[in-house]
Amino acid sequence: MEHTYQYSWIIPFIPLPVPILLGAGLLLFPTATKNLRRMWTFLSIFLLSIVMIFSLYLSIQQIFLSCIHQNVWSWTINNEFSFEFGYFIDPLTSIMSILITTVGILVLIYSDNYMSHDQGYLRFFAYMSFFNTSMLGLVTSSNLIQVYFFWELVGMCSYLLIGFWFTRPIAANACQKAFVTNRVGDFGLLLGILGLYWITGSFEFQDLFEIFNNLILNNRVNLLFLTLCAFLLFVGPIAKSAQFPLHVWLPDAMEGPTPISALIHAATMVAAGIFLVARLLPLFIVIPSIMYIISLIGIITVLLGATLALAQKDIKRGLAYSTMSQLGYMMLALGMGSYRSALFHLITHAYSKALLFLGSGSIIHSMEAIVGYSPDKSQNMILMGGLTKHVPITKTAFLVGTLSLCGIPPLACFWSKDEILNDSLLFSPIFGIIACSTAGLTAFYMFRIYLLTFEGHLNTYFINYSGKKSRSFYSISLWGKEEDKKLNRNFGLVPLLTMNNTKKASFFCNKTYKISNNVRNQTFITVENFGLNTRTFYYPHESDNTILFPMLVLLLFTLFIGAIGIPFNQEGIDFDILSKLLTPSINLLHTNSQNFVDWYEFLKNAIFSVSIALFGIFIAYCLYKPFYSSKLNLTLLNSFKKWSSKRIRWEKPINFVYNWSYNRGYIDTFFKKYLTESIRKLAKQTNFFDKRIVDGITNGVGITSFFVGEVTKYIGGSRISSYLFLYLCYVLIFLMILFFFYFEKF
Amino acid sequence: MYLVFTTNDFPWLTIIVVFPISAGSLMLFLPHRGNKVNKWYTICICILELLLTTYAFCYNFKMDDPLIQLSEDYKWINFFDFYWRLGIDGLSIGTILLTGFITTLATLAAFPVTRDSRLFHFLMLAMYSGQIGSFSSRDILLFFIMWELELIPVYLLLSMWGGKKRLYSATKFILYTAGSSIFLLIGVLGISLYGSNEPTLNLELLANQAYPVTLEILFYIGFLIAFAVKLPIIPLHTWLPDTHGEAHYSTCMLLAGILLKMGAYGLVRINMELLPHAHSMFSPWLMVVGTIQIIYAASTSPGQRNLKKRIAYSSVSHMGFIIIGIGSITDPGLNGAILQIISHGFIGAALFFLAGTSYDRIRLVYLDEMGGMAISIPKIFTMFTILSMASLALPGMSGFVAELIVFFGIITSQKYFLISKILIIFVMAIGMILTPIYLLSMSRQMFYGYKLINAKNFSFFDSGPRELFLSISILLPIIGIGIYPDFVLSLASDKVESILSNYFYG
Repeated sequence: MEHTYQYSWIIPFIPLPVPILLGAGLLLFPTATKNLRRMWTFLSIFLLSIVMIFSLYLSIQQIFLSCIHQNVWSWTINNEFSFEFGYFIDPLTSIMSILITTVGILVLIYSDNYMSHDQGYLRFFAYMSFFNTSMLGLVTSSNLIQVYFFWELVGMCSYLLIGFWFTRPIAANACQKAFVTNRVGDFGLLLGILGLYWITGSFEFQDLFEIFNNLILNNRVNLLFLTLCAFLLFVGPIAKSAQFPLHVWLPDAMEGPTPISALIHAATMVAAGIFLVARLLPLFIVIPSIMYIISLIGIITVLLGATLALAQKDIKRGLAYSTMSQLGYMMLALGMGSYRSALFHLITHAYSKALLFLGSGSIIHSMEAIVGYSPDKSQNMILMGGLTKHVPITKTAFLVGTLSLCGIPPLACFWSKDEILNDSLLFSPIFGIIACSTAGLTAFYMFRIYLLTFEGHLNTYFINYSGKKSRSFYSISLWGKEEDKKLNRNFGLVPLLTMNNTKKASFFCNKTYKISNNVRNQTFITVENFGLNTRTFYYPHESDNTILFPMLVLLLFTLFIGAIGIPFNQEGIDFDILSKLLTPSINLLHTNSQNFVDWYEFLKNAIFSVSIALFGIFIAYCLYKPFYSSKLNLTLLNSFKKWSSKRIRWEKPINFVYNWSYNRGYIDTFFKKYLTESIRKLAKQTNFFDKRIVDGITNGVGITSFFVGEVTKYIGGSRISSYLFLYLCYVLIFLMILFFFYFEKF
Repeated sequence: MYLVFTTNDFPWLTIIVVFPISAGSLMLFLPHRGNKVNKWYTICICILELLLTTYAFCYNFKMDDPLIQLSEDYKWINFFDFYWRLGIDGLSIGTILLTGFITTLATLAAFPVTRDSRLFHFLMLAMYSGQIGSFSSRDILLFFIMWELELIPVYLLLSMWGGKKRLYSATKFILYTAGSSIFLLIGVLGISLYGSNEPTLNLELLANQAYPVTLEILFYIGFLIAFAVKLPIIPLHTWLPDTHGEAHYSTCMLLAGILLKMGAYGLVRINMELLPHAHSMFSPWLMVVGTIQIIYAASTSPGQRNLKKRIAYSSVSHMGFIIIGIGSITDPGLNGAILQIISHGFIGAALFFLAGTSYDRIRLVYLDEMGGMAISIPKIFTMFTILSMASLALPGMSGFVAELIVFFGIITSQKYFLISKILIIFVMAIGMILTPIYLLSMSRQMFYGYKLINAKNFSFFDSGPRELFLSISILLPIIGIGIYPDFVLSLASDKVESILSNYFYG
């Protein structure tokens, strides 16, 4: 067994040959490399499966005998400083590496088909394999410098992959934005690492924790400085895991190919921040204020992500905001000190979200054939709808993912989310209420996405559809519902969406002003705008098997991965795999009840959270269920009639929330207006300063000397008398100076 | 014959210094049959020289010896004790090898030069000699002479093969550098004539000499001005963007790769080694100036429209790390500065090369007119991306290690208070955020998008084998140092310790 650990340094290096060979091949022998094409895919999948088997083996061993294995080699040897490289295997590492490899393999298989017509097929695989390498390196690193090393490499891979389609200006902007935002995080991380080194004199995790705890116990260090360092360290995860102030890059990152969004921006890289906080939790946990900051940022992100996801048109952006919100849950759990539930949610969310993204990729792939390749159209949920008929398998997979994310019992996310919600209620009632209400929001927006995409009829050919019904004018609400004019006559305004009344009620509604028959305002997009007047209609087709296979495997994961966290009653002791793995780790909230699960408590909480989720789903169902396919809504809508007197009052907040969500919480605008513009201004000003003042002095000296030369030339004028005059002047000045000195001396 | 080559008495360094310029002057006798002969002749000379240097250093240089090695001592001018005194130590071996490497590649990069190629190549070789000479001289007057020798070829290269505003920038360059050389000369003469009737020009003897504090400070300021122009340190940097913006890209490679490093080398060699007291007095100011320089140049850079000027400002910004490393007076800091010298030599040269090759194709200088080049020149795009990553200190590349060690040097420095250290590190790290902004937006403006597809004449050739070879051969050491920095660190570490020992016991 020691043997296995000894060889585990090889984990990150196994997938490394692929990017090296591919990169060299593409630069030096492009045609030969391109001819091999699929061989490279097989190779990278094969290598990654080796890693997967290896890490599976490691984690099975970890279950039976939980131990930490560490080994370091020196990287630079010097008398004054030395950096070390090594590996560090503990349960966290093995869980993360299994996660990375399983999702990685599935995404690689998926992208073989997804990217098959792309010119950069091999480039894509090179980037992907390099990403896998650096991500595995990140999770196996044994000290902070190594973490920083791979942290940046992962960020670079993300940059390259977001800008994969470099001809799209939006992608170009998005990748730069992602890199710079992540760099802000790296800035904090590096400063934090250096600060911690200054305090403790070590980069190694275990020494660091030990020294740190001693220092805190003996109170030998300035707590403010310590908190500052810990906070700076936390800035790295804030950026990487898209937490509140630095989340702006994640939705834009969806410009990359969809497999990337599944692997990097949903399952693995964004989880790196969670991983790092989990890894450094022994360090954070001794500073209560930093734990509070972590949970605060977590809860802000939870709420912000959920509210921003409400009005997204783009299916991937919607999912991205949902990812952000779920990452907020994990961060919240870590901030509360419940290490286990954070990791549990990390695992379950990774599989569910990967499934959702792959599903959305499959949808986009099908839609692209009809509406064209512009992401504005192919990812636009307004143009989708009624895909159930056309892509049944994708629909099933997507539905399972959606249900899982909503927290419906047998599926993965239920188990983990339930734990986090319980813990948050125990931790602080306010956080608990926000977290629970956001669970309802999650259910709502996920089902909004689902219903818009799969229910109803294909909106691309909506003109055709409406023609049958002989309507002169139809418009599709951005909120997903087709308005019937008859209904509109009854209600001038239809509140489309209601939130949980008991909590902070927020109503969403598309304002439907009747301005001379036209039912349109900003929330409406008329189908005619897209001008699809083709006579023959193509319908989306189900994707190929290579796309479906990874989705089905992920479906299985989503169904059963919750099992690792479910306690099994075995010989009187409650036992679950995850706790077994994470035994030595910290759990603040359940110190006593680690091995004791109160079933009554569990059921109560589960019912509570499920009912919230169901409520969210119900509302989404009511509001986005297409009218023409069901008469049920009429009764429901009639019930809205009672509110019609009140609705004016609601109009303002509804508008506000709608605009808030549509404009991404104005945060992007804020950053753009104040940060980007100020940097531009600064650049302009320094440039001006440099050109006019610093350089101006130089040029001024040059010009002055030129003029002085000219003047002397003019004065001199090659006349002996003037030379004599100047000469005499100088002599006189010299004599005067001499004279003064002479008198001073005596 | 074999014995001659292995013994220490063989004048390796003299041959290495004299060989390029003398071989270059033989070019006059070459048959006048077009440019091809000149090109290949020069490349052969460069490669031969590089091999010779490597061979000599491999067999005769001992890494663990901080003293001068391969030293040579020939009396040149009798009456003021002027010797032809050469020798290398851990500090100069890295820069000499860098010089050989970059000059060879710059000659290769200068293949498309057709106008007056004989003179061009002769000047390249003369520069080669001057640079190696100034890195390897152990005599302070010889150092000055070599320093001056090196300026003339640059001036000529700039004024004859530059862009539209070449005369302006060449004049600016020569005025700046020659003006600063006056201070260097004053310093050299002052330091050598101090305290004895016979002038002392030997650097080893000078290193052990002590001066009154005011005099030492005066000397220090004189040398500092000379090196500050070369390095450059703000506010004496304005010659650099103009020069780089106008020069042919092979000249740019030499300028960015080696010439700037001479300033840094001089700072370590003369200011640190000879004037330790003044240096420890000035070092806080150096740190402050270095930090300001990082931020200042990094925020000036995005405002540049000219592609090459933007890269030039990025080099100015990176020189800030060298200044800070030198100012920190710690072992890691100085090691980091030396590593940054080498690392930026590669990265800066490579970036200028790639900018030059893309300019050759698109014939546009201003960034806002470019766009969408990635489609037609994917290889240059790839290399440019990798190298801008290297320039923004991505881990795994040499820049990262250098910057990390410099950071580390400030942290471990005993000399400064905590608050000032925090402040300096904080500001430096802000530079870390600004760097990707200008580098990535440069690459975005040049390569991303589809702007030029519809324009006419939008068919360039991708980089051929020569250009690819060139950029890959610069890339390999960058990655090599980034993955295993001991390659370079081990060269200089003993020398660094011996320099710093003056500061703790002196």
